[in-house]
Amino acid sequence: MNNHLVVQNVRPWVDGKFKKPIDLKLENGIWSDFSDSEAETFDAEGAYAIPALFAFGIDFQEPVRDDIYTFEDGFKALRRGGFIGGLYESTANPIDDLQKLSAVTQIVGKSKLDIRLLGAISKDFQGEHLAEMLELSQGGVAGFGDGNRKVGATRFLRLAMEYGSMTGKRFFFLPMDYSLKYKGLVHEGPVSDTLGMKGIPKLAETIAVHKILELALWLKIPVHFKQITCGESLELIARAKERGLDVTCDVGVYHLLFDESHLFGLDSHLNLHPPVRSALDREALWNGISSGLVQAISCNHFPVLPQDKEVNFEDALPGALSLEILLPALWNLLKTRVGAIRAIELLSNNPALLAGARPAALKLNAPADFVLFQPKGETLVTSSVFSGQVHNSPLLGKSLQGRILGSYLKGLWSAV
Amino acid sequence: MSALEMKHLIGLRNVSAADIRLLLDTSRQFRDILERPVKKVPSLRGLTVVNLFFENSTRTRTSFELAEKRLSADTVNFTTSNSSVQKGESLLDTLRNIEAMKIDLVVVRHRGTGVPQFLADHSNAIVLNAGDGANEHPTQALLDMFTIEQKLGSLRGKRVAIVGDIRHSRVARSNIWGLTTMGAEVTLCGPSTLIPHSPDFFGDVHFESDVRRAVQNADAVITLRLQKERMDDSLLPSMREYRNFFGITHEVLEQAKPSILIMHPGPINRGVELDSEIADGANSVILEQVTNGVAVRMAALYLLSGGRASE
Repeated sequence: MNNHLVVQNVRPWVDGKFKKPIDLKLENGIWSDFSDSEAETFDAEGAYAIPALFAFGIDFQEPVRDDIYTFEDGFKALRRGGFIGGLYESTANPIDDLQKLSAVTQIVGKSKLDIRLLGAISKDFQGEHLAEMLELSQGGVAGFGDGNRKVGATRFLRLAMEYGSMTGKRFFFLPMDYSLKYKGLVHEGPVSDTLGMKGIPKLAETIAVHKILELALWLKIPVHFKQITCGESLELIARAKERGLDVTCDVGVYHLLFDESHLFGLDSHLNLHPPVRSALDREALWNGISSGLVQAISCNHFPVLPQDKEVNFEDALPGALSLEILLPALWNLLKTRVGAIRAIELLSNNPALLAGARPAALKLNAPADFVLFQPKGETLVTSSVFSGQVHNSPLLGKSLQGRILGSYLKGLWSAV
Repeated sequence: MSALEMKHLIGLRNVSAADIRLLLDTSRQFRDILERPVKKVPSLRGLTVVNLFFENSTRTRTSFELAEKRLSADTVNFTTSNSSVQKGESLLDTLRNIEAMKIDLVVVRHRGTGVPQFLADHSNAIVLNAGDGANEHPTQALLDMFTIEQKLGSLRGKRVAIVGDIRHSRVARSNIWGLTTMGAEVTLCGPSTLIPHSPDFFGDVHFESDVRRAVQNADAVITLRLQKERMDDSLLPSMREYRNFFGITHEVLEQAKPSILIMHPGPINRGVELDSEIADGANSVILEQVTNGVAVRMAALYLLSGGRASE
């Protein structure tokens, strides 16, 4: 029996624009042209069919904290948010040898989504001994990273990049000089001074960016910076690009939506790592998105238990969920500021390509993976929006413009 | 007998092809002598050789000692474990004291690059380098070249792959200088953390990160010993990964010429840089390297002494 679905009155993204409303006929994951009066139907009421998104920065904390969140929760979140897959980096269980790679590959394979894995740079993310990067590369990792941990001393970093250069794969770094970060929690600036909270200077990021860029330029290896938070880092990256380096970067969804002024509310959901910075920095990130310097918007989907979030700001654990709400949180802003083409590049094409995956696209007689999004709808962010038992997000309780109606991924339709 | 241009054997960098030729040709004569029932010749009778080993060595020291004895020299062994160096004596003082005993040749091994040159600069004795730091080990390279020539004829145009820890290897460096001077084509292969930082400085050598491609057209492969401390120094993740990607195994040799020579300076980490069955297999010339080492060291001692024995 054919798996037929007709999404009626939908505006699919084809060849760089949203078509006029049509009936999108889907058969076993393919946009087809069939006649089937008994096919299942869904009236999209003029909603967009956006090529499925690709998630950057996902970590479900399994297996160390399966009391918080499970892989299954994460897979549901991806489907709800319209993600065909993502780049998974396990901070709880570093993928530092083939055995661990094979175990996680087996688990994410069950999702039927396209989840790519980052291998570790060092054993147990300790920054002391190299992970078996050649074997991990042969085993299929998309690149290398050390979670959001510090990557050892500079000598170790240099050796790791030098050794890993043999694989030709990209290194992913969250740039942070941890000696400068010290006990800091929030952006070091007027707000941290006013509230008397320990700050993390921008220097902690820019010095790390500079160090990594110098090493990458010298070794001629591709690098990606995760969650850039300030304009000064983007300037360094732009200069390295001019010097011929293959360097890419992303910015976090919440760093585009919030800045330090929002910290006056002391909402522990805004306890994020890295921290949101000044309004000027936020604007610099948007400029980086407009200019093309920033390739992707990352989700940094990181579950934290309510008891670790529903505490005073300084005692809260950093991290936030985003997969289920990223599109309504950003789509209209992105469309207004950079246009739909760039928005799709940032959320779908670029992150997929950087992870070595095939970007989703909509074309007759080809695989169709998309998220059905009604820009005129509304999403009220309640705990029920999120999969699993956690709901840590600074957008909790807010109303967002736009609503995900469902997703069609690998031939499976999930209405939201 | 022709004379060497060099006065000491410090290294093979900047040594002329004529000197290397003379050393190899003379080695052949001594190699023949080693096949005789009586292997001793009187060439260095009356001369005193000091084996000055500041680093542990069994093979090289034994090989030199045997070469000296077969040339009828008087030999003295000086090792740090039984010397005044342990009591804090400086290198120069040690040398002057030994020299005061009227010695003629010094064979020296030291962990520091340049020590043989330092001794040559500050002494009247003839100095032979038995390994200085990661700089040079000229007699090892000469015996490697001799073995290749013995098996395959002229070195010119021969393709030699050197696989392993090139960055920290004095054997690799001396071989690079010697082999390229003699017209061989050298390919270096190893993990990027164990490859020299300035490959261009090595002249006309090729670099290859895939061991299968490195051995593909090679006439000989010199595998280098992997030191375990490379793991502690974060230069490699594990012996296992090294073996899987850079070890010489049957699978790797499937890509090579059937006649490829398997060489190793010893001691071998079996199952790491070289699989046991390859080390002991038909293509292995590792034990012949050891025998040839004595002949090459006899030739070096003989040529460098340059007739002092007859004075």
